[in-house]
Amino acid sequence: MDGVPGKFDVVVVGAGPAGSAAAYLLAKAGFKVLILERGRGAGSKELFGGKVYAPPLRDVWPGLDKEAPIHRWVTRERISFVRGSRVATIEYSLGRRVGFTTYLPELAKWMSDKAVEAGAVLVDEVRVDEIVVRDGRIVGVRSGPDTVEADVVVDAEGVNRLLLERLGLVERLNPSYVALGVKEVLNVGKGTIEERFALPKGEGLAWMVAGDVTAGIPGGGFIYTMKDTIAIGLVLHIGKAMEKAEAGQINKHVSRILEEFRLHPYFKQFWKDADVMEYGAHMTIEGGLRMVPKRLYAPGLVIVGDAAGLLLNTGYTVRGVDFAVASGRIAAEAIIEAFNRGGPTEENLRLYEERLKESFVWRELVRHRWIGRGMEDECYFTSMPGVLIRILEKLYEADYEEPTLIDALLESLAEEDISLTKLIMKLGSVVSKL
Amino acid sequence: MSTQASPLDKPLKLEDLLQRNIWDVDEDPHIEIPMDDQEGLRKRALVHLCPAGCYTMIGDKVLFSYEGCFECGLCRVITPEDKIRWEYPKSGKGIQYRFT
Repeated sequence: MDGVPGKFDVVVVGAGPAGSAAAYLLAKAGFKVLILERGRGAGSKELFGGKVYAPPLRDVWPGLDKEAPIHRWVTRERISFVRGSRVATIEYSLGRRVGFTTYLPELAKWMSDKAVEAGAVLVDEVRVDEIVVRDGRIVGVRSGPDTVEADVVVDAEGVNRLLLERLGLVERLNPSYVALGVKEVLNVGKGTIEERFALPKGEGLAWMVAGDVTAGIPGGGFIYTMKDTIAIGLVLHIGKAMEKAEAGQINKHVSRILEEFRLHPYFKQFWKDADVMEYGAHMTIEGGLRMVPKRLYAPGLVIVGDAAGLLLNTGYTVRGVDFAVASGRIAAEAIIEAFNRGGPTEENLRLYEERLKESFVWRELVRHRWIGRGMEDECYFTSMPGVLIRILEKLYEADYEEPTLIDALLESLAEEDISLTKLIMKLGSVVSKL
Repeated sequence: MSTQASPLDKPLKLEDLLQRNIWDVDEDPHIEIPMDDQEGLRKRALVHLCPAGCYTMIGDKVLFSYEGCFECGLCRVITPEDKIRWEYPKSGKGIQYRFT
């Protein structure tokens, strides 16, 4: 960190969506802001599914629609249930534009450029090793032998909370609270996306896949159309995957499970002849609220984005980037207010947590708080899609006589080893929590 | 016209998938596991679930190589704290994502 002046109003750890949103708003308000990023430029360590909800981003950057690296506005949502080669799909054609697809490295770079334009200083290739505490309050950060002092540290370090763990503010990550996202980006050639997915020009598709594409590990698949590429991937519950692997129930490498999804006889037609441009993985948060630290602030510190556990995966939508940006915005507003009230004391920074808990982010996480535990239930991931596909198979693939709907249901349940009572209870427990 | 079978019609080996990526490899390993006492390591999980295939079995020992690591944190999460030293690479080294 040679050449970095010694003292800042705010140091932001991590130039991801949460950190850059906070840095942008603080710099715009006249604060002296330093962003420290471990990667080479902002975005180089970023990986996500593919879709971002725009409204919370527009709250921070009103020019988003015109300026941001938006690949396609999502106008089609699909959900498929899969058992072997058999697939049942629901498609919804949206009435308006809410989310867009993009590469997160590109979007994160754009966000951090915005912060720099507003006056923040970005220093990349700096790994922060420690959040520095003195006399009971946070006074800065340390990287190797260098320390930078600041009145407030914004912890936007992401899902691996090395710094917060060292501070003792959070416990070690529980494998059941996180999932592994593995992803391939497929190059389909310029101008072919519309034809492949029957999309109007410039519009995009988001596609969630449930069933045996995850080889029995709770989780699911995703497909997103980018400008001239397709992102495909799997999200796998780490706690369950670990148990299954240790019990000898997973006998292939996770990349092979993803490759089998790429080569699935039904799905592969959409990316025929496409080469793999990139293959990567990142950890993500499974269950709403369980990963949120007991407190989101300390004297001289606020915690935002994935580090704060603010991500919601309902199975049909994933809200990560927009929650991160919203938490960054709320943190910036609270810090500005704290300075107006006399400084970033513990009492004044509590505003951040209070306002976050009044925001849509918290309401969403509370509303869907059961999801985390549901994610661990293999019944929803493998058996339910299995039952649905078996019913359709009996109805549509009968040679001469097709069963009644109720017979098809009862036979399918028996084949998946689920009793009718269990099905009703499972469905009932979903419905009651929706 | 005859259609030629493409290597893309078969599952790509992990090595081939990894060739699509860019790394700037650090001189020093950012992750280390003990080679002597491996009690408590979840070997089967490390070998099958590490998305970059950094963990391989040599006899009954699990061997770690940091070069192709995605820095995802999975191994850290499933390994007892005293059996792994886990850091991010220094100075912008490591995986360089572009289209993810």
